[in-house]
Amino acid sequence: MSLKVRLLIIFGLAAASLWALFPRTVVERVKRNGEIVYDTVKRVPLKKGLDLQGGMHLSLEIDESKGSVGNKTEAIERALKVVRTRIDEFGVAEPLVQKAGNDRIIVELPGIDDPRRAQDVVQKSAFLEFQITDETQALEKALPRLDALLKGKNVGAAGVGAEPKKDSIAGAAGLQSLLTADTSKKADSAKTDTAAALLTGGAGAFSKLIQQGQMPGEYYVAQKDVDLLTRYLALPEVVNVLPPGKVVRWSGDTVSLGNSIYRAIYVLDAKPIITGEFLTDAKPNNSPQDGNIVEFTFNNVGARRFRNETSRHIQDYMAIVLDQRVMGRPPVIQSAIGSRGQITMGGKDLQAAQDLALVLRAGSLPVPLKVAEVRQIGASLGQDSIQKGITAGLIAIALVVFIMIGYYRFAGVLAVAGLALYILYTLAALAGFDAVLTLPGLAGFILSIGIAVDANVLIFERIREELALGKTIRTSVDEGFRNAMSAIVDSEVTTALTAAVLYQYGTGPVRGFAVTLLAGIAASLFTAIFVVRTFFLVWLHRSPDSRTLSI
Amino acid sequence: MLRILHGTNYDFIRWWKWAAGITAAFLLIGLGSLFINPPNYSIEFTGGTLMQLEFASPAEAGRIRGALENGGVRGAEIQQFGSNREYTVRAQDASHVQTQAGGAETVANRIESVLKQQFGPDKLRIIRTEAVGPRVGSELRRGAIIAILISFLLTLIYLSIRFEWRFAAAAVVATLHDIIGTVAFVTLMNLEISLTVVAGLLTVLGYSLNDTVIIFDRVRENLRKGRKEPLYETLNRSINETLPRSILTHATALASTVALLIFAGEVIRPFAWVMTFGIFTGTFSSIYIAAPILLWIEQKWPRRAGTRQSSSTVTPTSRTRRSTATATR
Repeated sequence: MSLKVRLLIIFGLAAASLWALFPRTVVERVKRNGEIVYDTVKRVPLKKGLDLQGGMHLSLEIDESKGSVGNKTEAIERALKVVRTRIDEFGVAEPLVQKAGNDRIIVELPGIDDPRRAQDVVQKSAFLEFQITDETQALEKALPRLDALLKGKNVGAAGVGAEPKKDSIAGAAGLQSLLTADTSKKADSAKTDTAAALLTGGAGAFSKLIQQGQMPGEYYVAQKDVDLLTRYLALPEVVNVLPPGKVVRWSGDTVSLGNSIYRAIYVLDAKPIITGEFLTDAKPNNSPQDGNIVEFTFNNVGARRFRNETSRHIQDYMAIVLDQRVMGRPPVIQSAIGSRGQITMGGKDLQAAQDLALVLRAGSLPVPLKVAEVRQIGASLGQDSIQKGITAGLIAIALVVFIMIGYYRFAGVLAVAGLALYILYTLAALAGFDAVLTLPGLAGFILSIGIAVDANVLIFERIREELALGKTIRTSVDEGFRNAMSAIVDSEVTTALTAAVLYQYGTGPVRGFAVTLLAGIAASLFTAIFVVRTFFLVWLHRSPDSRTLSI
Repeated sequence: MLRILHGTNYDFIRWWKWAAGITAAFLLIGLGSLFINPPNYSIEFTGGTLMQLEFASPAEAGRIRGALENGGVRGAEIQQFGSNREYTVRAQDASHVQTQAGGAETVANRIESVLKQQFGPDKLRIIRTEAVGPRVGSELRRGAIIAILISFLLTLIYLSIRFEWRFAAAAVVATLHDIIGTVAFVTLMNLEISLTVVAGLLTVLGYSLNDTVIIFDRVRENLRKGRKEPLYETLNRSINETLPRSILTHATALASTVALLIFAGEVIRPFAWVMTFGIFTGTFSSIYIAAPILLWIEQKWPRRAGTRQSSSTVTPTSRTRRSTATATR
């Protein structure tokens, strides 16, 4: 290979690398005044990881605590689509949503400032149902059986308070005493008895907790009893006795009656008259009567069905149920409703309305998701890490330059020139492969600067040996490069194997480390064997009569 | 020409018993402390929650602890991080990890709300949160072990192809020594074993092998020259010949790790420690573990006279080389 070709390759690559690293204008999604817009920004095309630029990393998996999921792979695929749509609308520049393994979704949100809100938007199931409240007094009919069932039954933690304290509750409470203030007092005294008694059903255990509300199917439960009733309702025996074809749902809000706070619970027809799947649009709004609301629109099919169903239920009450919580108080159906409706947010702020509208538009999650891992890093910390990394890098470079030039003199200068190209090539390779620069990656890169000159050292030592044998400079250089080759290749390959394994088994930041290591190995092989060799050849070409080589 | 330790003729191998004694003592102390004081795994491996907080004004660790205990976050570890306005809170014990099975964020949210209630919502800022559920943790643990085993296997195969099995086996034993030594070092220094530290461990593995390979490459070359000398001599010669290179390379590598250690900040420091130690142990093991083991293997399973196939391909240049190599300049 002629010298010209060699130089052409080296400088061609250097030019390409410079071009790859040059700040360029790219079209990006950016957030401006709360709006997501596409805009042109100028930036260096080296992607920074979340640990360097700040942001949030979420790893989500299917939550099977409320029932197992059949086809997980399919469910996660569908969930992925929904999450992606939601995140796209959420308003982050350059979000990342991807599948990891078979059963996990990774969400990365650079520069996010409100992690809790983001998590909410991702995790909300957003399953919307419209259900008619029960008109048949089904719960009242079931109450005696429920009371009987719970009477004497221990629902506490296993072994604790196994003895039912029936005698502490005077008289048989039942349906007849449902609405009297007396019952709640009794309930109170029963509750304060002991912690064990609280978990032990006595007579009228169920019915004493609830009070008839103002509309059919509506009941009030004192806030302090909500947990207990929730536990009762989860018992399999209780589930069996609950009226068939009906479901019990808590309200999303609390109401205060007199001095106490209550939460409403509703008995609803299990079959919804319509669900959120027919929704075409949802947007937040504010109305004078209801405060913040979300207005939604059904598509044609949905509107027809909604009109039919509501016309059959005039004067009934319709609960709007989101993720098994009743939103607002169920309104009475005055006349057939067509394509539009609204959900009242019950005192929550406009932001909540905005987020709800967003998740409703994106559609419901096919399975509930839970957070398996969350990492959130403030932007200032990332900036700080970069600053420190650059300082450490510059000092490492200075030390390496000092050692190489101090020891090898002229040859050291060639090695340092090679090192400069090494740094350029490595960064360009990272930019070219769209690799993400993480903090461990940055550390790995700084480390590689110290290790990259190893190949040069090996070669230079060989050249010295050959010179010591009394060979000419040209032969020594040739032999030096040739003899050092096997050691260089073997040692670089073993390091590359380790880096490849790290890439395969590492996650996030460690992967970034492996990628920098791999890019560094390739660049160091190239610079030591090809670039520095060429420098020697140029020098030999320009001063062919040289008797000494400063090495 | 500036020269360091050039043309030396130290009898390195002679001291191998001393070296073995020292390293055995170090490994024993390290592994012993591993049992007395179990290693400090990061939450990535155990599951749990780590939060870094910045308070608007100096805060006391005791007050933070009190607030957390009252708020139901018991047994969290609170550490000052840099200035007295910055703290890390770490909830890593089994009960917290179990709480996070239902959602990794639960404990972090509780810590946040408890502290904001105590100190006022705008008096502290959360700089960093890491919360890992138990399943992710156990997966990562398994992944790290698999990664180390696979790197071993791959390098063993590669070295067996490039060298012969004796070399490969000796190199792997030396590397194994380095891994155990580094783990002992990590335990003695009470460093936290995080994913980054495991990455550092694997890099040490690569670096140490690298170093062994350089010396073995020289041994391979010297063997090919077919000198009539015992392997003992060849090993010593090879180590001496590669000595200047070793010194130089370790100097530049150390320059990098020390720069990282001092300037790159708290998060990277454990990694930098591991690498700094790794450079020393890598050098040590190449000379005092790999070479003696190779010697031992050679004695145990001596190669037949004919297997030194390269003895017939002695080149004139290497003959001349041999005659001058011993001459002192």
